[in-house]
Amino acid sequence: MPAANVAAQVRTSLATLKASDLQDAQIMEVLKLAHQLTDTMKLFFSSLDQSICQEFNYIADYISRTRDEIAALRPNDIKKQRIPTAGAELEAVVTDTEKATEVIMSAAESVLCDEETDYDIYRANVEAKMMEIIESCSFQDLAGQRVSKVVGSLRHVESRVARFAEVMGVRDADGGPQEETAEEKRNREQLLNGPAIGGPETSQDDIDAMFADAGGDAALDQGSIDSLFD
Amino acid sequence: MAVEMTMPILVVDDYKTMIRIIRNLLKQIGFENVDDAADGQEAFEKMQKNNYGLVISDWNMEPMTGYELLQKVRADEGLKSTPFIMVTAESKTENVVAAKKAGVNNYIVKPFNAGTLKSKMSAVLGEF
Repeated sequence: MPAANVAAQVRTSLATLKASDLQDAQIMEVLKLAHQLTDTMKLFFSSLDQSICQEFNYIADYISRTRDEIAALRPNDIKKQRIPTAGAELEAVVTDTEKATEVIMSAAESVLCDEETDYDIYRANVEAKMMEIIESCSFQDLAGQRVSKVVGSLRHVESRVARFAEVMGVRDADGGPQEETAEEKRNREQLLNGPAIGGPETSQDDIDAMFADAGGDAALDQGSIDSLFD
Repeated sequence: MAVEMTMPILVVDDYKTMIRIIRNLLKQIGFENVDDAADGQEAFEKMQKNNYGLVISDWNMEPMTGYELLQKVRADEGLKSTPFIMVTAESKTENVVAAKKAGVNNYIVKPFNAGTLKSKMSAVLGEF
């Protein structure tokens, strides 16, 4: 029941008591004071009601807006379509690469093991294997297209999440470092950093700079690794 | 002492293609007695049964990494003197330093070629 209605009900009850012709003057005085008090509180209760109502309206609007923004994220599309498709594309890249590698290596091994003594036959064998290698290299085109699709999906997710964070005023959680997962712990303990982006091939100047930075975490090329074993 | 070209070599990598590449490179260099393992655990078990003249191991493998294998080998009285070359894409300074501290004999970053492999093997085993 709204606070204003409660106050009105109290006032009605007081009026009823006052009209019941009570003989005790002190009780009548208390009733009078109570009546004055409820009149005074009437405005307060009304403003309290409006304030609560406004708060609830704000929360309802916020929930509604959040729901709209989550819908705009299209989470089901991301979960059921884009991410699985991206995963399938990457798996296809691995499969295509493996198949091509198999063909290329088999062709190379075949040439290396070819003991044909007749020059013309040997040359024909080598040319045939070289053509197999060239044909297999078309995997690079397909892999490039597949990876581009995956990059597109990641950019789509990134843009939608960024928009959601911006509209909802989401900030990264403060506080201490997040708890390390078992996988992260193993990677840290076993120094599993993975290949460096761009490969370990760096100029001598870069290598010198890395070594000048004592304790740095930079990637080394073969030359700098060799120097550690001299 | 001359390097025995028929000595058994253990190649450890979780990618069959990389094992195949190293096998081919070793064959070109002149070593054909090559065995392989898919991770550190399998390699360690094979090492306890066979006497390898050289171990060529990747770093990043499951469930036992090449780094763990190196540490186990160096801690094992019967295996600790086995020459060990790390062949890996892990090229950070901390990886190289950690491997050297653990007792690796040499370290090759991927990708690499037959010349690099041969020169590192020569550095570890002696000229051949």
